[in-house]
Amino acid sequence: MEEPAAFERLVYKNASNFHYMKICLVLENGSRNIEAAQFKQLIVSGLRQLYGEVGAAFPFDLLKFDPGTLTGILRVYNSGLVKLWSALTLIGSYQNELCAVRVTQVSPFLLALSGNSRELELDQASPTGEKLLLT
Amino acid sequence: MSPELEKCSRSLLVCEKSNFTKEKSRYDIHVSKHYFNYKVSIVIPECASLPASIAGVINSFNSYYRVRDLPIYKLLEEEFLEKVVKKGQFYALSYNTRIDEDNTIAFLPSGQLILSVDKDTYEQLGLEGKPSQYKHRKVLRYVVTIDLTDKLMSPGAKRYQRLITSLKEWVPIKCDLMISSKMTAEEDGGVLQNLLSQYSFEEHRPTLHTHTLKEMPCPSLHSTDRHGDEKSCDPHHFLEWLGAVSMDISSDNEASSFLSTYVCPDPQSLMSHGLLCTVTGFLIPEDIYSLLLELRRYFDEPKFTSWLSMTVHGFVDSPVSWGTTEHGFLKSGENFYNFVCFRNQDYWLHMATGSHDGCPP
Repeated sequence: MEEPAAFERLVYKNASNFHYMKICLVLENGSRNIEAAQFKQLIVSGLRQLYGEVGAAFPFDLLKFDPGTLTGILRVYNSGLVKLWSALTLIGSYQNELCAVRVTQVSPFLLALSGNSRELELDQASPTGEKLLLT
Repeated sequence: MSPELEKCSRSLLVCEKSNFTKEKSRYDIHVSKHYFNYKVSIVIPECASLPASIAGVINSFNSYYRVRDLPIYKLLEEEFLEKVVKKGQFYALSYNTRIDEDNTIAFLPSGQLILSVDKDTYEQLGLEGKPSQYKHRKVLRYVVTIDLTDKLMSPGAKRYQRLITSLKEWVPIKCDLMISSKMTAEEDGGVLQNLLSQYSFEEHRPTLHTHTLKEMPCPSLHSTDRHGDEKSCDPHHFLEWLGAVSMDISSDNEASSFLSTYVCPDPQSLMSHGLLCTVTGFLIPEDIYSLLLELRRYFDEPKFTSWLSMTVHGFVDSPVSWGTTEHGFLKSGENFYNFVCFRNQDYWLHMATGSHDGCPP
């Protein structure tokens, strides 16, 4: 058996290099088929429109995209958060159709995006017992 | 480009490393002081299905109630106060209220009532409170903290009468509440059930989901690592990986990929399968502590993995994070903690808060 570890306590302030955003594309005429690459290209073009080629030249990741609900999770360096968020806010159209990007959640911790208590719905009494989703 | 555009709001992550069997370790206090919990996520590498013992503990979690339009003063009436609120096992939090916009009410098991209210409500209430610590230029939010166990707040006392008058006549605050009490009907004399039956309410059970993780890279962790060692990945990368697992985010991308360059942090190993289990609801610390004890027992028999992880997310709209430390919501209201439990009963505890929060304990 290994020896118990010695006590250690560290406090990190602003130590995360990234911010994570959960966003949703809302189209005027309802949903349509959009691929992940097209969604990312929409955001890149929004950045270029607002900040130009040089200003928009910072990387961000589309960690996940759900084509059914048009929701995505982005990862961006802290220094690019304000620029990315402002560009998302001003995206107004996709292929000549009016649209808007809703920012649902922003956090320096990706883990926090998986536990948003504002999604808790208690309007119907939940069935007793468990739901098993084994895939 | 203006440097102002590159600034971000503050976040804090406290990382504690110790052993469960050490007398001085305070993990139990950290769990018990985090009163309002929304979700528990468990990740166990090399585990195909939820062990029966852990499922049993989750099935014994307390039920909770959602009561509609309950006048707050009803929870302060003498009988309810003496038989339920002051007994140390009563939790209540306003449902569907946003801490940055709405009036929020919370009852702590320590017998304290927290009212986080806007300026107008505070002035009409006429109760003694403090401006919120998280203000910009003007004070728009006030926090009233009332210790109901104080002698000066005992039924019949002047300050108690004033509190009742404020909440009953001056500003009759009514809201939907989530309520959980560890006491049975026999222990509290049926007082809680009696109160609930006067209003519209539903009983809820915590919701359990399980998901099997297929072959995927997984961080290697060693409990003997100290800060600066490279045998394990650093806390931020590990928490990022946990977030990726929880949300089914791919972690084997190429560096040249257009969509995402996210990869599992190094050092890593290949996990043939794993278990992701989440429990959601209005969860109380006592239940989470029981679950943690059961997870520690997972290693009583030999297992392929040397570690497992439990993450607990707090309510983003709770007026407190740990204890009575004020909690707010700027861009996000995260207040979560994560245990990594090792085979030899060592643990790592990561506690994270956002910008409108005090430092975790």
